[in-house]
Amino acid sequence: MKRVLLSLCSGLMGLFLITLVQSSGLPISNASNTRSAAVDPALLHTLQVRYKTLAKQLTQLMPTQPYILVDTARNHLYIKRQDQVMLDALASTGSGTILDKPGDSKGQWIFDTPRGEFTVQSRLTNPVWVKPDWAFIEEGLEVPKSQADRLEPGVLGEYALGFGKGYFIHGTLYTRLLGKNVTHGCIRLNDDDLKSVYRHAKVGTPIMIF
Amino acid sequence: MTFLRATLSILLSLTSVSWAAEPDVIPALDTTDPAALQEATRVLEEEIKLASRPRTYMLIDLAANAILIKGRGVELHRIPIENWSASHLAQHMTAYRLRERPPVNRRKIDPVAVTEQEPISLADMPTTFTLQFSPPLRILVLSNTDGNPWQWTMQRGRAWWCRLRSWGNILWTGDKAPSPPSLDLTVSLDHAQSLAWTVTEGMPFLIRRPTTQ
Repeated sequence: MKRVLLSLCSGLMGLFLITLVQSSGLPISNASNTRSAAVDPALLHTLQVRYKTLAKQLTQLMPTQPYILVDTARNHLYIKRQDQVMLDALASTGSGTILDKPGDSKGQWIFDTPRGEFTVQSRLTNPVWVKPDWAFIEEGLEVPKSQADRLEPGVLGEYALGFGKGYFIHGTLYTRLLGKNVTHGCIRLNDDDLKSVYRHAKVGTPIMIF
Repeated sequence: MTFLRATLSILLSLTSVSWAAEPDVIPALDTTDPAALQEATRVLEEEIKLASRPRTYMLIDLAANAILIKGRGVELHRIPIENWSASHLAQHMTAYRLRERPPVNRRKIDPVAVTEQEPISLADMPTTFTLQFSPPLRILVLSNTDGNPWQWTMQRGRAWWCRLRSWGNILWTGDKAPSPPSLDLTVSLDHAQSLAWTVTEGMPFLIRRPTTQ
């Protein structure tokens, strides 16, 4: 019994020491941690050429034209061209709240702004909002049968840029809420910033959202 | 033979690769260190595959102490790493896919309620969380607890609990399989929440390992 306890204690002590080493911040890996004294110039040159080729390949994948960048955590929209920031606008993005679908025990809408890379698919002027089902349900209203009852002009601002699955960059009547996560997934801007974005963005302009 | 070697060295130094015009795609890279170059090319090879597709990805750059959110090779956002420790990182060299996001307490909209539901914000995000990946990798994200001993104790407790569970699993099952790689990252409180906010299910992660101490 004593022997078992002793080996258990020494085992735990060993694990503790391993943890101490791990938490010291030193990398524990198979990678070489020391630089070899004699560097083979031919090998170094080969590696440098390979690195340069790959770096060039990666650079070629970077957008050369202006692109839209959206930070959903801090609610900012940027237009960037390479390292240059052409516009920094306060925005409103998805609230992250959920709404149950009536008559579907498992179905629900999640009001997140989608993350990832998208492209501008449509550019609209004076857009009319076609209210989806959730817009009625969240207000406790009946979903209308007629399409005409879903139309709501004047709430999306002067322009709208669609980037797929019903998501748009558009204007808002609630400018005091800019900078907050309040939308159903769309990206809202004030009128001036929306105009700038509309001017810079073409169909195909990349939109990166994180 | 020595003469040939010397001639080759001179020729190579004359035709040395010019770096000036190249963009800084891998930060803090010593281009005269073969090990660092080897690691950088490995990361670049993986990154090119990811950047060719329309999706964002993460690069955990342990050599530059930063977590980079990237898309198409462009750095979208940078989170500084304050401290890190790792084990068995060399087991896998590929991109890791995040299995699921850290849990978020989402508010439910009640259509009959008079008051509006508060939206979620960065402040609702966890400050300490674990990310699990495929192929197996565990990343424990801790936030800086300067001046808060209670938080420090809680975080250390959680880190120890993670380790004890994996050791217990090995002892219990007698599993001799190599331990999966793991990484503990300490970032500021805001950055931990920002990271929890940004990651999405299936998001690819790359890790650049340091090659010098």
